[in-house]
Amino acid sequence: MSIIQIKGLHKIYNPKKVPVHALNGIDLEITEGEFTAIVGPSGSGKSTLLNMIGGLDSPTEGTVIINGVDVSTLSPKKLIDFRLKNIGFVFQDYSLLPVLTARENVEFIMQLQGRKKEEFKKRAEELLREVGLGDRMDNRPSNLSGGQQQRVAVARALASKPKFILADEPTANLDSVSTSDLLEMMQVLNKEENMTFIFSTHDQRVIDKARRVVSIVDGKVAEDIQVEQEMAQ
Amino acid sequence: MITAISWRNIWRNPTRSLVIIIAVALGLTAGIFSVALMNGMTEQKMRTAIENQTSHIQLHHPEFSVNKDIKLHLNNKAEIEKILEDNPAIKGFSSRTVAGGMLASSRGSVGVQLNGINPEKEKQVTAIWQNMIEGDYFEGDSRKPILISQKTAEKLEVKLRSKLVVTLQDSEGEIVGAAFRVSGIFKTTSTAFDETQVFIPKKALQDLLQLPAEVHEIALVLNDLEQVPIIKEELQKELGESVKIEDWKEVLPELAYLSDATVQTNVLFLAIILVALAFGILNTMLMSVFERVKEIGVLMAVGMNKLRIFSMIVIETVFLSVSGSLIGVLVGIALIKWTSQEGISLSMFAEGLASWGVSDVIYPTLSAGFYIILMFMVLITALLASIYPARKALSLNPAEALHGLNN
Ligand SMILES: Nc1ncnc2c1ncn2[C@@H]1O[C@H](COP(=O)(O)OP(=O)(O)OP(=O)(O)O)[C@@H](O)[C@H]1O
Ligand SMILES: [Mg+2]
Repeated sequence: MSIIQIKGLHKIYNPKKVPVHALNGIDLEITEGEFTAIVGPSGSGKSTLLNMIGGLDSPTEGTVIINGVDVSTLSPKKLIDFRLKNIGFVFQDYSLLPVLTARENVEFIMQLQGRKKEEFKKRAEELLREVGLGDRMDNRPSNLSGGQQQRVAVARALASKPKFILADEPTANLDSVSTSDLLEMMQVLNKEENMTFIFSTHDQRVIDKARRVVSIVDGKVAEDIQVEQEMAQ
Repeated sequence: MITAISWRNIWRNPTRSLVIIIAVALGLTAGIFSVALMNGMTEQKMRTAIENQTSHIQLHHPEFSVNKDIKLHLNNKAEIEKILEDNPAIKGFSSRTVAGGMLASSRGSVGVQLNGINPEKEKQVTAIWQNMIEGDYFEGDSRKPILISQKTAEKLEVKLRSKLVVTLQDSEGEIVGAAFRVSGIFKTTSTAFDETQVFIPKKALQDLLQLPAEVHEIALVLNDLEQVPIIKEELQKELGESVKIEDWKEVLPELAYLSDATVQTNVLFLAIILVALAFGILNTMLMSVFERVKEIGVLMAVGMNKLRIFSMIVIETVFLSVSGSLIGVLVGIALIKWTSQEGISLSMFAEGLASWGVSDVIYPTLSAGFYIILMFMVLITALLASIYPARKALSLNPAEALHGLNN
């Protein structure tokens, strides 16, 4: 089932002063359960594309339909709520709130969703255990390694029960061991819970794990390759 | 959880937060203490004015206060005194015969108000007898004693036992005079009072005025100052329209005005301090918001709505201001407690203050209500100071806020 449909997407930054054509007509469809890497040279528009998919910025032209909803028609207020309910985010850096512990970071998102206390307490613990941080739950991000922080970020993204998780260069700041650990964990979640992951990356080892690789060059889709399932493993 | 986040955010940069907290605390301590000092002075002035001049309540002929004519004496003196004696709320009263006149020595003359009093009765009402610096309070056997203030003595260049001539108009309109001997010299904290008031025995004045047994003024003191309005009303009912009853505020309206004005000045004074502090708080919060642009971007991205972000910044500002204020208020209270035990001696400036009616030891004081007003003012200050930083935080677009971090 298709959960994201992008049609004729254009994004021009600074249209009045020095226009930057970040996206130049992207058509893309993402179906449930995908494990997709967005790749491309620096400045090609990967982050811009992910921001559009995540409803963090509005397109100059074209439509982004998520789960049947054209996000560009949503008011800013509704959009925040939409993100909270439908999209999980993992960022390259500063993903977590530094003043909250791992557990609180995960609980916080569910609290924003207005879930009950007993429910989110339990779920936060489950998720942190699932990402392998059962014993570090009460640490603040500053006491966790980069890889551990990104796991917490994934747990937080999952906590809101989103339709898909967007991760913009989640491994850019990680060493190779943490990178493969994180990817492995994401793969498990993808397989066992059918969670859709869309992530951008420069890292060949990460690209190798993807089941679909979308290459962006100059704001256009240059290549879109479905990797054989067996090969990805 | 937003409250917890706000509180912890404050302590991310402890130095910066402490600096502003201490600034707020110091500002408020200084503000509170100054206000308490001003209050202490005002209260002192009122107390001395009540003790020496106005008493709690005064009775006059209805027109007496308008033209001070000596013929406007109280008509039913005996009846009034009986009623006053029977009222248990009244601690004491003094009936006075009052007239304006001239006081002359060989060196000069001054216009004064002559108060003809019964020394023992007067003791219950005013504190002149406690303010004698030379001589005594009608204790000697002088036949025509007069009490004058040190100021008047200096002006007329007279000493204890000097002779003074009193000149005035009697009830027939005749100019009459008599010699008195200075038997005591007093000094109160009010220069204005000292310059105008002299005391002689009631009988002596009545004889001069040819007003046997008549009095113009009855001053009374209650057991409790707070009861003034009630007793005043009670007496008015009993005595009817033929007697004008005034409380101390009416006798000296500038005194009541002073106490009102003090409250207004105090609030204005603290408001100015708070406005200054508000800019410091605003600056601190603005720095904090700018430092956290990306973090706020993440919060917006993951679904924290504007209202919550706004609240987070507002709560942080309130925490910052209120913790500083609490410290400031507590230190201020401690300081007031400590200094009000011994009082603060202002003998250095006493000369100037005396003309204003303040004695040289001040007891700082502040009412509980004032702290409540103050905490409200702090809260409003915090809210106002938070609006700009909070709006700045909201003006961020998540994509732009995150821009720096994702490419
Ligand atoms: N908020 C913005 N304002 C102006 N220009 C922007 C903004 N965000 C991105 N751009 C520009 O748009 C183009 C695409 O940027 P984008 O961040 O999407 O690239 P990217 O593929 O993610 O690059 P990287 O691999 O370095 O992260 C770049 O030229 C960038 O400078
Ligand atoms: Mg990028």
